[in-house]
Amino acid sequence: MTQAYHQLVKRLLDGELSLSDLPPELRAEGAEALRLLGAVDRTPVLLPLQLDARVMAEVRRRARSPVRRAWRRLVEPRDVELRLRVRPWVVWGGALAAAATVALLLAWPPASPGRIRPVRVAARDSVYVRFVLYAPGAKQVAVAGTFNQWDQNAARLVRLGADGIWTITLALPQGQHQYAFVVDGQRWVPDPAAPGIDDGFGRRNSVVAVTAHGARTL
Amino acid sequence: MRRAALALAIASSGALRLAAQQPDVAARLNGRVPAEVVPAVAGVAASAASRGLPVEPLIQKAIEGGAKGRPAQQVIAAVRALADQLGAASGALRSGGFDHADADLVEGGAYALGAGLSVRQVQHLARASRPPYEPALTLRVAGTLAALGVPPKNTLDLVEGLINAGRSPSDLLDLPSEVQAGVARGATPAQAADGLARAAAHAPGSGPPGGVPPGQAKGHGNPHKP
Repeated sequence: MTQAYHQLVKRLLDGELSLSDLPPELRAEGAEALRLLGAVDRTPVLLPLQLDARVMAEVRRRARSPVRRAWRRLVEPRDVELRLRVRPWVVWGGALAAAATVALLLAWPPASPGRIRPVRVAARDSVYVRFVLYAPGAKQVAVAGTFNQWDQNAARLVRLGADGIWTITLALPQGQHQYAFVVDGQRWVPDPAAPGIDDGFGRRNSVVAVTAHGARTL
Repeated sequence: MRRAALALAIASSGALRLAAQQPDVAARLNGRVPAEVVPAVAGVAASAASRGLPVEPLIQKAIEGGAKGRPAQQVIAAVRALADQLGAASGALRSGGFDHADADLVEGGAYALGAGLSVRQVQHLARASRPPYEPALTLRVAGTLAALGVPPKNTLDLVEGLINAGRSPSDLLDLPSEVQAGVARGATPAQAADGLARAAAHAPGSGPPGGVPPGQAKGHGNPHKP
């Protein structure tokens, strides 16, 4: 149990004040504090004579242990004096490098599986889009575009019967995609059912817009 | 002195980021494009990144050129042209009040500019695209309309008319296929666009999105209320 005494009572216990110096309302508290202090057993503690010898023997035994000596060498703090002579431009250079590092860390985009756009849009809902091409003489038809890194082996269409109709259904991330059909691995053909735009290489790409409500041949 | 230090820090940051991006671009292009294309596109991408332009379309364009078997010089030229378009779009959007245009918006602007719209038209359409219309989507639709042969002014009238009529963003997306349908029936792209613009202006319930249709400031009650 602890008791918080009034500040004046504490000064009384410290011998700075006498009981009569206390205001009347604190005298009872001061008297009680003095009584408790007087009741404390102040008899000196006498230690057995052998105690010193036993403690010192144990200290010497531990000090002799090579493992402990090695450990102490490793962990004990030591004074190391390091003297550097630097020119002012070195200090400034270091400060600027540190500032650049901080700026870099602040400006760096959060870690993600990748910083490429398809990954970002792939996080959104995908929509199934059906591609159809009429190519009666074709042996193989694929669709390549921004949604599959223009890989002509990534999405091969399937021939429906013997009518020359090729089709495939792909799950595309929402957004606008450009694409073209690849016939027999060589001929790049725009989708006749979709708007086309200049591809920058003298040909045309088809455009499809994929939204949550479906796909439009945008 | 402090300003100089800060400028140097920012420049150092940009340089470090560019240096970090170089292997990324090269790694993605290696084996997919002619060897001489890789450093050229990496340089264009680094320059674009330093100007805050999106890099991904440039990589995609290079990959596209490689997949199509185009000669190296043609691939590099196409990537450079696209970088120029992105830069022009970014500048147009910034001067049009879009100080922090994201990559989608810049790409949409580049797409529209590439299709033949002017800088002012791109700025105008971006500003007109208040919610629920996304400026990037509006610009892409406008770009596609222009690519279909609709003159830029008619494109602007049609898209802005649809927005002002309070039609849904889904209706906006339908415009290119509707223009195509009109062309298939024998109209010119301009005629098809004008017809759609007139239809949008006179469609029932047309009005600014979330606003009160002209002439109906004082409500007469909901005619559909039971």
